[in-house]
Amino acid sequence: MSESTSEVQPQREPLTPEGLAIAVKYDLTEKLMPHLDRHLIFPLLESLSSKELYDEHTLLQLKYDLLKDASMVDYTISLWKELHDGSENVPEELIQQKDDVLKQLETYEKSTSRVLEVFEDPEARANLKQDKVANLQFLESKYQITGDMINDLYKYGQLQYNCGKYHAASDLLYHVRILTTDSNLITSATWGKFAADILTLQWEAVAEELQKLRDIVDQRSFADPLTQLHHRTWIIHWSLFPFFNIENGKESLCDLFFSSAYINTIQASCPWILRYLTAAVVAMNKGPSGGHHGNIIFQKRLKDLIRVVGQEKYEYQDPLTEFIRALYIDYDFEEAQAKLSEAEIILNNDFFLADSAEAFLESARHLISELYCRIHQRIDVNQLSTRLNLSTEQGEKWIANLIQGTKMDAKIDESEGLVIMNHPVANVYQQVIEKTKGLTFRSNQVLSQAVNKHDALVS
Amino acid sequence: MSKFFAGSDSESSSSDEELYSSSGEEDKDVSSSEEESSEEDDSEDESSDEESDEETGGAKKGTPGYYMRNQFLKGGSSAGADSDEESEDEGKRIVKSAKDKLVDEIDASIKAIENAKRINDWVAISGEFDKVNRLAERAGKQYSTTPPQYINMLMELDEFAQEAVKNEKQAKKKMNASNSRALNTIKQRIKKTSKGFETKIAAYKSDPELYQRELKGETTPQPEATASFKKTTVASTTSTTVAAADDNDGFSTVGKAGKVLQYTPENIFKTLISIVESRGKKNTDRAEQIKTLEELNKVATTPYQKISVLLMLIPIRFDLTSAGSVVPTQNWKAAEQDIRALFTVLEENASTYRVSESASEPEDIEEGPTAGPDGVKEIPGSVTSLIERLDDEFTRALQNIDPHTTEYVDRLRDEADLYTLIIRGQLYLESSLKQGQQPHTSEALSRLLVRRLDHIYYKPTSVIINSERDAWDKIRSADVTSKQLITPRISGDVAVTDKSYTIQLIDRICSVLYQQQSTIFRSKAMLSHIYHYALNDYYFKARDLFLMSHLQSSIHTADPTIQVLYNRALVQVGLCAFRIGLIVECQQSLQEICSSSRLKELLGQGVTKFGQVSAPDKQRLLPFHMHINLELLECVYLTASLLIEIPLMASLGNSIDAKKKIVSKPFRRMLDYHDRQVFSGPAENTRDHIMQAGKALLNGDWTSSRDLLTSIKIWSLLSNAEEIKTMLGVKVQEEGLRTYIFNYGSCYQSLSISILSSLFELSERKVSAIVSKMIATEEIAAALDQKSNSIVFRKGVELSNLQVLAQALADKSVQLAERNERLAAGGHQLSEQGNTSGPNKPSGQSGQGDRYNNDRSSNQRGQNRQGNSGRRENQQPRPIRA
Repeated sequence: MSESTSEVQPQREPLTPEGLAIAVKYDLTEKLMPHLDRHLIFPLLESLSSKELYDEHTLLQLKYDLLKDASMVDYTISLWKELHDGSENVPEELIQQKDDVLKQLETYEKSTSRVLEVFEDPEARANLKQDKVANLQFLESKYQITGDMINDLYKYGQLQYNCGKYHAASDLLYHVRILTTDSNLITSATWGKFAADILTLQWEAVAEELQKLRDIVDQRSFADPLTQLHHRTWIIHWSLFPFFNIENGKESLCDLFFSSAYINTIQASCPWILRYLTAAVVAMNKGPSGGHHGNIIFQKRLKDLIRVVGQEKYEYQDPLTEFIRALYIDYDFEEAQAKLSEAEIILNNDFFLADSAEAFLESARHLISELYCRIHQRIDVNQLSTRLNLSTEQGEKWIANLIQGTKMDAKIDESEGLVIMNHPVANVYQQVIEKTKGLTFRSNQVLSQAVNKHDALVS
Repeated sequence: MSKFFAGSDSESSSSDEELYSSSGEEDKDVSSSEEESSEEDDSEDESSDEESDEETGGAKKGTPGYYMRNQFLKGGSSAGADSDEESEDEGKRIVKSAKDKLVDEIDASIKAIENAKRINDWVAISGEFDKVNRLAERAGKQYSTTPPQYINMLMELDEFAQEAVKNEKQAKKKMNASNSRALNTIKQRIKKTSKGFETKIAAYKSDPELYQRELKGETTPQPEATASFKKTTVASTTSTTVAAADDNDGFSTVGKAGKVLQYTPENIFKTLISIVESRGKKNTDRAEQIKTLEELNKVATTPYQKISVLLMLIPIRFDLTSAGSVVPTQNWKAAEQDIRALFTVLEENASTYRVSESASEPEDIEEGPTAGPDGVKEIPGSVTSLIERLDDEFTRALQNIDPHTTEYVDRLRDEADLYTLIIRGQLYLESSLKQGQQPHTSEALSRLLVRRLDHIYYKPTSVIINSERDAWDKIRSADVTSKQLITPRISGDVAVTDKSYTIQLIDRICSVLYQQQSTIFRSKAMLSHIYHYALNDYYFKARDLFLMSHLQSSIHTADPTIQVLYNRALVQVGLCAFRIGLIVECQQSLQEICSSSRLKELLGQGVTKFGQVSAPDKQRLLPFHMHINLELLECVYLTASLLIEIPLMASLGNSIDAKKKIVSKPFRRMLDYHDRQVFSGPAENTRDHIMQAGKALLNGDWTSSRDLLTSIKIWSLLSNAEEIKTMLGVKVQEEGLRTYIFNYGSCYQSLSISILSSLFELSERKVSAIVSKMIATEEIAAALDQKSNSIVFRKGVELSNLQVLAQALADKSVQLAERNERLAAGGHQLSEQGNTSGPNKPSGQSGQGDRYNNDRSSNQRGQNRQGNSGRRENQQPRPIRA
């Protein structure tokens, strides 16, 4: 999608022209698309058309181009009609395509009916075991199911998927995976099922498939590191769908993306994913309610994030990562705040992040004020409020909550309109005690580990 | 040393020794010593002007070492040169041409022979005689003269030997066995050699003075004498065939008439065969062969003949000069022209003949090879090797010329021709690729591409573009259109400063080389690529490429030249980081290599001052025009160190670990040295400037620090000097602010930001950002007060010594515990082998064979990474010297 396709339509637009420009400038759809499946791109485009960032006609054309080669012929035809202002002269090739697809469906239905029947049969199912080779032999001897039929099954599943019948595709591919011994076929089927489940919004199944895919990609010794890199890139992109839609998804997203292999992939091939990582990390900060443990994890992730953002600064920048950079690398509060308001526009216009926008902004404000309080001794409530994009009243309330919530040592001086922070000087003895606290325990643990290992070896 | 002292000293010692040794001789053989002394008188009469030298030389006759004597003789002759007797020699010494040196050497050997004669040491005589023969032969070949001393010596030695034989028969006591054997061999050899110089000896005998005058008067060789001389030498070589003998007759005609009648296209191959057979054998006269081949080339009619002759001629041109010495410029140019001629022939006949490394020898050399399936006849040979040789000789010539002379510049101009030839060679090989064959499958082509890369990778864009233009102008367009090209032809409208053209050029060359099997090609291409990116300020590209290449892990086993290239690339990346204002990165890249005392050696720009330097070491040195300016390098490194080290010094103050936390040792050392000086005047050199700037910055005087830094002259070597000065100014402001707060923070209760802002001419926002950062990273114990817009310093946070130590101890114990944990976590070896030493390797987190993982994880370590790569630098000097 090129920049030129964007045509501003201010009369219907809640965004200011500048805001729109920002939204368009940092729109990632173009970068994401090469790494997504045709069908997965479709929801992105749908959301784009609802956001009205781009010209309606262009988007339609895009959708049409996108689905032209898929087998969702009916929908394609309707798109075509829409594109040509309701013209009824549907091109021949589309109709031809429709016939072809129907024919193919028919053939595959026939050729795979046998297999599917077997699966319907409870007796046969009961006889299936873990061992796939044995299963194949069993099926072949008893039900005359050959390898070709399984391949047909796979193709049938693919066709169903292409036609947009994701449920059916998911089921078929599931069967294929159970039966086949061909590892390539298994991989393909898993990818297919993953996509199908995403499109049918079965998030639990998706999570399961994701895990399977990760196992395949990470454990299989890829002959070619480049292929592995591509697969990881795909996983990263595809998994954005489940992660921003399920509960605790951001948690898993952070776990996955921060694991060394994937953070490397992000840095090497798709630095724009840092936006989602930033959003997830920041939005996940529950503040004091997250508890001590949660806070430690958050701090660690934040540290990692700051490092990566700093490293990739030269390759990728958007208001979200810039926010992190301004706040934690340059300590420039004014800039951080400016970036935050830009980030708000982006969040609201991003397909994945729209739901997390509130949480992100809230948390980002929290981060700003926290750092601000840490560095300052006396703070003007008014200024802090403007810094947080809040009114004075709201600001005071916010600060009061913050003080209460974090048990910060601070007081509000109402008459002066100040917050006075009291930074306790950490006692040296306290520090030394803190540091050496767990040492005995840890050493003991190490010792017992060593002893156990020795015993295990001796015995 | 005074003349007098030198002379008297050697004389007295010589007489002592003479006494001693002659008495020893007398014990053995009285009569022969008498004879000898009379001989001595004779010879002294004859060569009275060499007297003093003889005596000094005679002093060493007792010492057995040939080498020692030689050394001494040199010393002696140079001492003798001071006396006005040898005015002729003196004149020559000032000129010091190679020819004169040769003559000097001959003189020295002759003297040695004279000396040995006196004591009848025939073994020594025979050794020296061999040497002088070799020298005379060289003189004859290179300058077509035979020094009169040599002829004289031949005659004398002949007489002396005959007498000695007579004496031997009369003598009561026999000479010892080895001596008499040496006498016999010498006798025969004199006979043999004097045959070669019969005419000259005759001429000399009849009128020695005339002969000498003639020789001096003419710089060009006497045609007759040389011709006859050559004729006899050739005749005396046993290896020459009948055909060769025929040629000799022919040759004498050539010498006189300068016209060829005997060389006809028909007997070209006969001659060629004879030359092939004589190649590599001793006593072949290569100059002779070249003349023959040049004539052959003139008469050659068919392309096949021409190609064959040229393929033979070019290597012999190079062989003319013995290995290790430099090919004279005219020879080099002749070879260059021959190669050009070869290409012209080849390009004209591309559809019928092809020179290929893989072609087999034709069965009948006159018939030529049979045509292959595509109708092209393949001739065995390699254009790549010829160009490579030409390139090597060019480099060697540059290595041996003083770079600060105009001679160097003149010679460097020849690079344009060489570069054109390389491109031509590349085009030729490209066009001879078979249909559909990938360029990287041709090793010869890759070799040429490497050469081409070698010529351009270190050059700035405008230079490359100009040389490309020159080269392509000389290449006819018809040759280019043939097939798909690896590298683009430069078009006229490319701007001189167009980086994209050169980057694209190098990208394309490298992408072919990356597909080569051999790691040498790949690492070379990779490093040159990195170097070029860095040179053009693409820091991140260069750095990422460096990391992806994983060269750090294997570089210490690589070829020394590649190691040098690696160091060059690393340094260039560091310089690039500096240019774009990444001070920390710059400092880290340059850290190891700049703190090494072997900087010159590491960069291939010089050899160690102490210890032996072998010839291959010298050959590896880069020609001067490729050098990285070491002064600039030092200046950049020290400036970067200054910007890091000064705030660090200020922050540590007088605390205990102030000595331990040193980023740049060389900088600290110089600063200390500067401190210790009783009197320091105004800054003169670069180092002074930087050190004084450092002191000023430490004292909070950032303006004078900035002025000192920006007044360094060497910045003008950088292309964007003004930008860099501005950048430095800003950095100095920031670091000055930090240093100021570190230094004087403890004196303040509070410090207004607006004052700081006016003091350091920074915006308030910038000041508060810098201060915020310092507070957040706990570099200073302070807080900001928004109401009064000031920094409030906290009191009572200074720790006592005991407290600091306690904290340090706590830190150490935590480290220890962590180390133990790591050991336990991956401690397989611990249980299996009982090997508890050292922390275990961190277990591989990344999947096997996952190149990209490793890449980026090394990237993650970011800061360490370059340190690591640098650390390997330290191990490098050894392989370089090996």
